[in-house]
Amino acid sequence: MHIGVSKTLLLWRFCEVNEPIIECRDLIKTFSSSAEVLHILDHANFSLEKGNICTILGPSGSGKSTFLAILGSLERFDSGTVRVGGYDLHTLPEKSLFMFRRNVVGFVFQFHFLLNDFTALENVALPRYMAGISRTDSWERATRLLDLVGLKNRAHHYPSQLSGGERQRVAIARALINDPPIVLADEPTGNLDTASSEEVRSLLQRLPEATNTTLVLVTHDSELATIGNISYLLKGGNFECLA
Amino acid sequence: MRHSTFWGAVLGISVSIVPLYIVLFVSNGMIQGITDRYLETKTSHLQLSLPFNLSSETRKKIQQDIARLEDVSIASFEVDGIGLAASPNGSTSAQIRGLDPSIIKDEGFKKFIQIDGGTIFPEKQNEAVLGRYLARALGVNVGDSVSLITLRNADEAQMLPKLSIFRVAGIVSSGYRELDANWFIIQSEAALRLLNPSTAYAFIGIKTKHPYGSELDSLASEITHKISQSDIPGAQGIGIRTWRDIERSLFASFSSTKSVLILIMAIAIIVASINLASALTTYVIEHRTEIAILRSFGVSPRQTATIFLLGGAVTGTLGCIAGSAVGIFISFYVNQILRGAQAAVNFISKLLAPASHPVTLLNPDYYLEHIPISINWNYIILILGIGFVVSALVSLVPAIKSSHIAPAELIRHEQ
Repeated sequence: MHIGVSKTLLLWRFCEVNEPIIECRDLIKTFSSSAEVLHILDHANFSLEKGNICTILGPSGSGKSTFLAILGSLERFDSGTVRVGGYDLHTLPEKSLFMFRRNVVGFVFQFHFLLNDFTALENVALPRYMAGISRTDSWERATRLLDLVGLKNRAHHYPSQLSGGERQRVAIARALINDPPIVLADEPTGNLDTASSEEVRSLLQRLPEATNTTLVLVTHDSELATIGNISYLLKGGNFECLA
Repeated sequence: MRHSTFWGAVLGISVSIVPLYIVLFVSNGMIQGITDRYLETKTSHLQLSLPFNLSSETRKKIQQDIARLEDVSIASFEVDGIGLAASPNGSTSAQIRGLDPSIIKDEGFKKFIQIDGGTIFPEKQNEAVLGRYLARALGVNVGDSVSLITLRNADEAQMLPKLSIFRVAGIVSSGYRELDANWFIIQSEAALRLLNPSTAYAFIGIKTKHPYGSELDSLASEITHKISQSDIPGAQGIGIRTWRDIERSLFASFSSTKSVLILIMAIAIIVASINLASALTTYVIEHRTEIAILRSFGVSPRQTATIFLLGGAVTGTLGCIAGSAVGIFISFYVNQILRGAQAAVNFISKLLAPASHPVTLLNPDYYLEHIPISINWNYIILILGIGFVVSALVSLVPAIKSSHIAPAELIRHEQ
């Protein structure tokens, strides 16, 4: 049972046991401006089974980040079917989206987006604490996750006191705090140097096994792309399975 | 919220609250002090007007009947008129007050009368007690003689001046110059002889146990009923008024002045509250990314709105508490503060211009020499409660604004 899942959210869940954990059919997403209409995703199809590490590659501007944002309910789409963790995002009401973000997906951005006025431990614990879980439980889980990412001894440091790689590892720990079945990472090493990128790559590689999550990764980093056991190329608004 | 922004908002609200307390408590104290002095030393709580030519026996019987009523503390006879007081050093108008000896038992009267010299009541019919400023104007002290000129009817057509000589038996003050500036207090029997029946005013001044409550009107009705049922000759000429009726215009002006002052202070508080709302709104705009981060990991729109609503309410309440503490402190010690300020101003003034006249911050011609302050906790609770509610209300807009920030902000931030 997901933490703090409301009955409302459960109503929208499809309970097909063998269903892929992520499935998209005929997905269309366009951006309109006064000059033109951009077809970012054009009848795109995508499918991913539970427990995999999926990397999504593609040229710059192909829509990879937009696709990930759609999966994480950070962006809406025009039409098609998007099922994530058993939830149909097209029909999920706006007022239930925050519950979906809280319980089903954990998002890791290119920039760490840690809150500067909070320590590493507080940054990690905050999503769980604000989900209504007790402070003790939230802090304990945050401590375990910081240990998992190798930063237990930096728990009481502020983001300004951490290196780039350490901040990104804290962000990964934060994404895992509510036990999401799916972690979405958008260019997690995009802002990091080589050494920090290696730290993060190593962490992400062992993540699904350590936490029983499914990882979807968007990256330009060729080294990082190798950790996936499934790869997709997003080009021309649609996906091509590479491996 | 950044610490400087937070403390700035707290300071703004607290500074706006301080003058509200000062206005409330000082104006209330001033008004209450003046009112008490009027009631206890001049108007009494009720006045039962009497025909001037009522016999002494009848008058005394009425006085005794009223004094026996349960809610009545004291009933004393008085006859007022005007005259001209003169001494070798000058002359000036005088407000003649003919009091009877029962005034000495009036604790309320004695409480507010400061005796500069001599006695509070003339013991002989040819003695007078003067108000402080009348004595100064005439340049007389206790033991000196003063003349009093009044007008008496010689016959139906003519009025003749009557000159009387009095020995100054005492000099007194009520602490409020406007009230007692021209007091010329003599015995009531002397006043009845000297004053013109057509211009003098005779009454029984009644003090009660509850001058400010509704019991006063009940007592007035009871006395009116008693008089109307009695066989007193000339009962139709006897009427009763409360102190509210007697000094209606004075207290109405106090009330309106106080209301205007409070309105001005309320505007200051509204400005401070708008400053709080502005600070919160700016904070929301500046921290859109942080808010979007919260939204991205499942914080609901209602939660983000509640954070800002509570933040604004707490900031405003802290400002109210700080302002209340300072405002109450200043109000409580306002007399000492004014004296200190006056001394400082006069000291500096003497340094810069040795020939300058001393400055009086509260001119005793118009204000009490000492402002009585009593802290009313109902006002404090009301102000704190309103402060909390107003802070929460002005925080609504930034709170709602924060709830509309979408996590997609993060995607745009990256791009």
